[in-house]
Amino acid sequence: MRLPAIFRTSVFQVTILYVGLFGMSVAALGAFIYVSTVGYLQGQTDEVIEAEFNSAMDQFISGGPRRLAGWISQRAGQQNEERFYYRMVQEGYDDASVGNLPEWPAPGVVDGWIDFRVVITDEGPEPVPVRAFVTDLGTVQARYFLLIGREIRELEQIKGLFRRASILGLGMTMLLALTGGLALAYGAHRHVAALSRTTRRIIAGDLGQRVPVNGHDEHAELAQSVNAMLDQIENLMAGLRHVGDSIAHDLRGPLTRLRTKLEMLATEETPSRQSVEDCLAQADGVLATFNALLRIARVESGAYRKAFATIDLGLIAQDIADLYQATAEDNLVEIRRRIDENAIVFGDRELLAQALTNLLDNALKYTPVGAHIDIEVKRRRDRVVLVVADSGPGIPAEDRERVLQRFARLDASRSKPGNGLGLALVRAVSDQHEGTLALTDNGPGLRVTLTLPAADDSGTEPA
Amino acid sequence: MESSRLKGHARRESDPLRVLIIEDDRDVSAYIRQGLTQAGWNVDVADNGKDGLLLATTESYDALIVDRMLPGVEGLTLIRTLRASDNQTPALILSALGEVDDRVKGLNAGGDDYLVKPFAFSELHARLEALIRRAKSSGGHAETTLALADLEVDLLTREVHRGGSRIDLQPREFQLLEFLLRHQGQVVTRTMLLEGVWNYHFDPQTNVIDVHISRLRSKIDKGFDKPLLHTVRGAGYRLSA
Repeated sequence: MRLPAIFRTSVFQVTILYVGLFGMSVAALGAFIYVSTVGYLQGQTDEVIEAEFNSAMDQFISGGPRRLAGWISQRAGQQNEERFYYRMVQEGYDDASVGNLPEWPAPGVVDGWIDFRVVITDEGPEPVPVRAFVTDLGTVQARYFLLIGREIRELEQIKGLFRRASILGLGMTMLLALTGGLALAYGAHRHVAALSRTTRRIIAGDLGQRVPVNGHDEHAELAQSVNAMLDQIENLMAGLRHVGDSIAHDLRGPLTRLRTKLEMLATEETPSRQSVEDCLAQADGVLATFNALLRIARVESGAYRKAFATIDLGLIAQDIADLYQATAEDNLVEIRRRIDENAIVFGDRELLAQALTNLLDNALKYTPVGAHIDIEVKRRRDRVVLVVADSGPGIPAEDRERVLQRFARLDASRSKPGNGLGLALVRAVSDQHEGTLALTDNGPGLRVTLTLPAADDSGTEPA
Repeated sequence: MESSRLKGHARRESDPLRVLIIEDDRDVSAYIRQGLTQAGWNVDVADNGKDGLLLATTESYDALIVDRMLPGVEGLTLIRTLRASDNQTPALILSALGEVDDRVKGLNAGGDDYLVKPFAFSELHARLEALIRRAKSSGGHAETTLALADLEVDLLTREVHRGGSRIDLQPREFQLLEFLLRHQGQVVTRTMLLEGVWNYHFDPQTNVIDVHISRLRSKIDKGFDKPLLHTVRGAGYRLSA
C-alpha cells in the first residue's frame, strides 16, 4: 500500500532524516548532561557516606562494637535535615540492633553499596529512598554488620525532574520538527501538484494552460521556465500547422501545372522534346522545393552540429562573392566587399555558404540595374558580424518577422522566381550557429545582419 | 543477381566499361542500368550486399555504384571491406535523402564520390566517367601543362595560350579551365564544377555557374575557328575538340 503523496515528497523525507539525526544528537547531549550532573551529585552523596563510614570505623577500631554502638545512637539522635541512617546488627541477634533503621533492608547482602526504600513511620507513609554502604565488620567476639546510609530524596527528585524534562523536551522537539516538516512538505507538494495538473491538462490538448506563478522562490522560477517552454511549444505547434498548410498549398500549384503539362503531353502524337523538358523542369522545381524543405528541417534538427569546426567566415564570404561576381556584373550591379581577417567562427562551412548564397541571391534579385550590393564581414572582439545589404525595395517593417518563415512571400515579389524558403534556411543556419539574425532598413533596401559568436580571441576591435 | 559477362574473358582497351550496381531499389537500379547501357557500358546488378561483395571481389569492374542502405549490410561497410582486401575499384556512393549528408564519412570509408538521391542520370554518368578517368590517370605523374587542340595551359606560370596568342584569365577562370581540361572529353555538371572549383557541395539553384562558363567561353572560344567549350543540354558542359 502506497503512502499518501505528501509522505513521499523529498522535503518530508529529508525532514524525517533531519529530525532523526537531530533527535539523536539531542538525546546524546541529554545523556551526557544527565551523567555529568546526576552522576556528580551521586558521587557527592557516596563521598559523604564514605566519610561517615570512615568515622564509624575509627570508632570501631578504637573501642570495638560497644564504642561504635554508642556513637551510632548518639549520631542517630542528632539528625534533623539530611538524614543518616545507621544499623548495626550482631549476627543472630536481630533484636539487639542499634540505629534508626527498623530493619536490615537487604537480607543476604553484607558487603558493598545498596539502594533501597524504607518506610520510616514518623516521617510519613511514603517510602524514603536511601543509598547505603554495608560491610561485614568481621568477627571479634561475635560477627557484626554495619550499614551507613543516606537519604537521597532530593537526588531522586532531581533525577526524576531531569528525566521528565528530557522526555518532554525531546518529545516536543520531535513533534515540532515533524509538524514543520509536514508543513514544508505540504507547501512543496502543492507546487508540484499544480505543475502536474497543468501539464496533464496540456497533454490532454489544452495548449493554452500555464502554471500558476506565486512568489519569487525556486518554485516560481521553475513555473516560469515551464511556462516559457509551453509558450515555445505552442508557437512550434502553430508554426507546424502553418507550414503544413503552406506546403500543401504552395506545392499543389507546381504539381498541378506538371500534371496539366503531362496531360497535354499525353495528347500529342509524338511528344515534342520541348514539352517533355518543360515537364522535367516543373518536376525539378517541385523537387528543389522539397529538397530545400528537408535541408531546413535537418539543419533545425541539429544534425549538422556534429561536424562543426573552426572556419573563417571571411573566406566563405569571398568565395560566394566571387561566385556571384560575374552574374552581378552582367546585371550592372557592383558587389562592394569589406571583409576583415580572422573572422573565425565555429560552424559548418557548407551551411554558412548556403546561407550567404541565399542572401546574395535575394540581394541580386531585388537590386536595380546600376546599383550596388554590400557584403561586410566585421570582426569584433567576441563576435563576427556578417552584413548583406542591397538597394532594392527592401522589406516593410511589419513583414520582417514573417519573411523568415517557410513559404513566406511578399505580395510584391510573388512574380519573381523562388520558393519562399531562402530566408527560412538562413534563419535555421543562424539558430544552429547560436547567432542572431536581424533585418533592417538599408535606406533604401534591405540590410541583413547575421551575428555569430567568435571562436577565438584574436579579435582586437572593441566589443 | 544477374551477370551479363562471361567470366575469364581477358579485357581489351576497346572493351566497353564494366560497372557493378549494388542497389536494392529495383526502380533505381533499372533507371541507372538503362542509361548506362545506352551509353555503351556493361552493367551488372546486385540487389543485396552479400551478392554485391561477392561479385565485386570475384569479377573485375571499372567502377562500382554502391547504395548506402542495403539489406543486411551498410554500403560503407562493404566498401571498407573491399578496400581492406586491397580492392581499389573506384566506387560511387548513393545516399537517399533523409540521411545526414555524410560525404566525409563516405569518402573516409573508401568511396571516391558521393551522390544524393534523387539525382539526374546525367549527373551520375558524368561523375562515373570522371571517377574512371581519375583512377586511370592516377599514375602519380605531375604534369606541368594541360592541353587540348591548340589550347595550352601552363600550370606553373599560370599562362594560357591558344593558337599562339596569349589569353588573360582571372584566377577563378583559370581554375575553371584547369578543371575542364582535366576532365576534357567528359560531361561536367554544374555541381561538379562547384565542388571542383569552389569546393562547395550544395546544388547551385540559380545559374551562377553558367555565367562564369559563358565568360570563359567568350575568352577562349571567341575569335577562334573551333569551339572547344560545349554546352550539353540537360547535363552540363564539356571541353572537347
